[in-house]
Amino acid sequence: MFQSERFWGGLRGVINVLLVIYMLAPLVVTLVISFSSALYLTFPPPGFSLQWYEKMFNNPTWTRTLWTSVKIMIPAAIIATVFGTAAALALSRIKSKWAIAIRGILMAPLIIPVIITAAAIFGVFRIWGLYGTLFGLIIAHVILTLPFVLSTVSANLAVFDRRLEDAAANCGAPPWTAFRRVTLPLISPAVLSGMLFAMVISFDELIVSLFLSTPRVRPVTVQMWSNVRGDTDPTIAAIATVLFLFSLFALLMDGLARRRSGRAPGL
Amino acid sequence: MTDLTKMAGLSRRRFLSTSLYASASLAALGAFSRPAQAAANLAGREMVFASWGGSYQAAQEAAYCIPFMESTGALVIQDGPMSGSKLRTMVEAGEPIWDAVDVTDTFLFANEDLFEDLDFNIVDASALDQAYVHPKGIGAIVWSYNIGYNSDVVGDDVPQNWADVFDVEKYPGKRAFRDRIYPMMEIALMADGVAPEDLYPLDIDRAFRKLDTIKDHVIWYSSNSVSQQLFVDGEVGVGIILNGRAFDVNKKGAPVHVQWNQNIRSIDYLVIPKGAPNAEVAQHFMNATADADNQALMANTLAYAPVNPAAFADVEESVLPWLATSEENQAKGFLIRADYWRDNLAELTERWTEWKLS
Amino acid sequence: MYLKDRNIWLLAPAVLLIGLCFLYPVSWLLQRSVSEPVWGLQNYITIFSKTIYLGVLWNTVAIAGATTILCALIGFPVAYSMVHSSPWVRKVLIFAVLIPFWTSILVRTFAWLVILQRGGIINDVLIGIGLIAEPFDLVYNRFGVLLGMVQVLLPFMVFPLFSVMARIDGSYFKAATNLGATPIRAFFRVYLPLCLPGLATGAMLVFIIALGYFITPALLGGRGDIMIAQLIFERIDEFGDWPLASALAIVLLVGTGLLFLLINALLKIKGERI
Repeated sequence: MFQSERFWGGLRGVINVLLVIYMLAPLVVTLVISFSSALYLTFPPPGFSLQWYEKMFNNPTWTRTLWTSVKIMIPAAIIATVFGTAAALALSRIKSKWAIAIRGILMAPLIIPVIITAAAIFGVFRIWGLYGTLFGLIIAHVILTLPFVLSTVSANLAVFDRRLEDAAANCGAPPWTAFRRVTLPLISPAVLSGMLFAMVISFDELIVSLFLSTPRVRPVTVQMWSNVRGDTDPTIAAIATVLFLFSLFALLMDGLARRRSGRAPGL
Repeated sequence: MTDLTKMAGLSRRRFLSTSLYASASLAALGAFSRPAQAAANLAGREMVFASWGGSYQAAQEAAYCIPFMESTGALVIQDGPMSGSKLRTMVEAGEPIWDAVDVTDTFLFANEDLFEDLDFNIVDASALDQAYVHPKGIGAIVWSYNIGYNSDVVGDDVPQNWADVFDVEKYPGKRAFRDRIYPMMEIALMADGVAPEDLYPLDIDRAFRKLDTIKDHVIWYSSNSVSQQLFVDGEVGVGIILNGRAFDVNKKGAPVHVQWNQNIRSIDYLVIPKGAPNAEVAQHFMNATADADNQALMANTLAYAPVNPAAFADVEESVLPWLATSEENQAKGFLIRADYWRDNLAELTERWTEWKLS
Repeated sequence: MYLKDRNIWLLAPAVLLIGLCFLYPVSWLLQRSVSEPVWGLQNYITIFSKTIYLGVLWNTVAIAGATTILCALIGFPVAYSMVHSSPWVRKVLIFAVLIPFWTSILVRTFAWLVILQRGGIINDVLIGIGLIAEPFDLVYNRFGVLLGMVQVLLPFMVFPLFSVMARIDGSYFKAATNLGATPIRAFFRVYLPLCLPGLATGAMLVFIIALGYFITPALLGGRGDIMIAQLIFERIDEFGDWPLASALAIVLLVGTGLLFLLINALLKIKGERI
């Protein structure tokens, strides 16, 4: 039995289903609670009500902070991906011992406890006038997400056959063309993974954003944190549900766009 | 609960007349509420007020900041949420962003050098209960750690004191305790029979021994929101809860109540960070927070007790049982000795961690 | 020479950004571990002599390690499925794995409490169908912590694995089985080693991030589930003890760095690199 493909395939299928349940469980609970008619968080909810969605949409703060989160997330993810991929490429080619040291430095934001990073960056950003600015938050998020891009792309580069690039060069391709036509397509799963990582991490980031934001420039995570201090009611469940729907929508749009452009829906 | 973020746009007088808590005591306002000096003219000036966010800060905005803006012409900008590390970082850097901050008593006492002295030529604290006035801060609200219980779970067996809470036979199952060394030490000692007046200096070893007797029957919460959850869902029958938190869910219909016996009062102070750019405006702001009308508004909204006795004239009947500084409740409890914790918190927090690991 | 120049240009943006906006302020903060209250190593001596710091450091490593192993066990089949299934299944899996990030940490935690607590969904169902009589303690203990952490850290194992697996030529495996190896043997001797860079990267990422977690363990864990980041936070937030907090951070940094070098060395022996 253990030698049969079917067995392993079936086992994988079971794991996949269990995984999806595991990942989705909190979200399903959240969804149910968001329609609760009770005034406080309780499960199962006593009845159905749209009051929390009403409360959320009536409060412009939520749409404003959500939009701020998006305004931070997209530029930060793009910059982190570009810088991180470039760094990964360079580091995969450098043979000297410096490569390890530089790699360590670039991965450092991952290892340093986030409260220290937050306090440190807050200190200098204040001096540089970046406190409470969108730009400051974007830079901070690039710093925090770059290590993810770097490590993901590096993993892929480790199995990348350098000779393919050399072959392209031998055929007369200039470096940028060789990269664009040969390397990039082959490492694209990693680059896209990295960018996706950067986006979700930026969206979910709390501590550094807490230090760097003000009520006027504030991502939705900080707003939720600020609210929970006093309001333990299902408003946050409504918000979480909306965020989930928003991300579902984005994913479907992405799938649709790929199909339209004729490219295989790879990632 | 009325949506205070919407209310923030209304003036205080309009709020009082349209709010759910409109009371006949509007008539009594004239007699007790006028502060001793007329409000200063601070048109064109501004200050930043930082607090804990959520409905608490929204209530403070409606009760303190807006009246202050109306009477003085200054602009109050909201910021937050409060974070000890963020406050510390900005003060140590030399030019804090925040001009007035809401901090806990233990934080104030342990970090006095982070704050400016109050200028009592500007700040009129004469009407306040002096127990809640500190050279560097005015008590904003008084709250308490109470015995909390879920009436569905305990039924008629309402806990009377902390010894009851520690009684696993009377209350099988788990109880909810706060994952901080204070006031767990005071509570353990009271459960072991020590009277409040004999508590300080605390016999820490005795307190830990008492906690050892039930440590496996406890759910430790490190967030007050989780404490509300534990009581609301009936995960625990008894435990410790902040009175305002119990009030919040009780008002919304949950079977959560507090026992006022052996309550431990604590204070949130309003302070001015050292080097605040608008410190002078902040000093004037303190008067708005000491004002009886404003304090009554806070009390009626969130059941956080006023430090100005005159405020009680405007407090709703239904809220009175929930206030820590009402005569009855104040008599049943005591004020936590923040000066004791100022001296011992650092060392005792380490012992707390050690005990938790054991 | 020309090649070297180009690499420097590629590295420059990342290094400059991290160097200026991160390394500079953070090292200025961390040097306080040796300069305050007086120059010397007394902060480090405090850490290594007090049982609570060693105990919590050990806890942290244990929890992070358990999380990593669990993520590897779950993540491997999931990544494999992502590579070898239809695009639709792949999309569903990617989405499922990333879901936790779209819900804030507070919402996630409360939802877990609702699901796991003694009066929660799982216990209600188990008691309802008669499987157990007394509810299980599924939260406010290590189980709850691991459940919560694995959920959020899984993508960091899955995606590096996925991107490496996607590039593995399926014909290697076929060749092995054609040459007479059983599928199991072919898997362990041929496929798994090819996945190693992805697995190592994933494990490293999960472990390092898990080391720095404190909110989830604090909310979902039990009395003894304290992690070092929580102590660091406490030291700064309540006591303003920057020197000790910095020293703890440096201990964490050095420990992780050594681990990183160790893994790198091991992989070099096997001919790969992270």
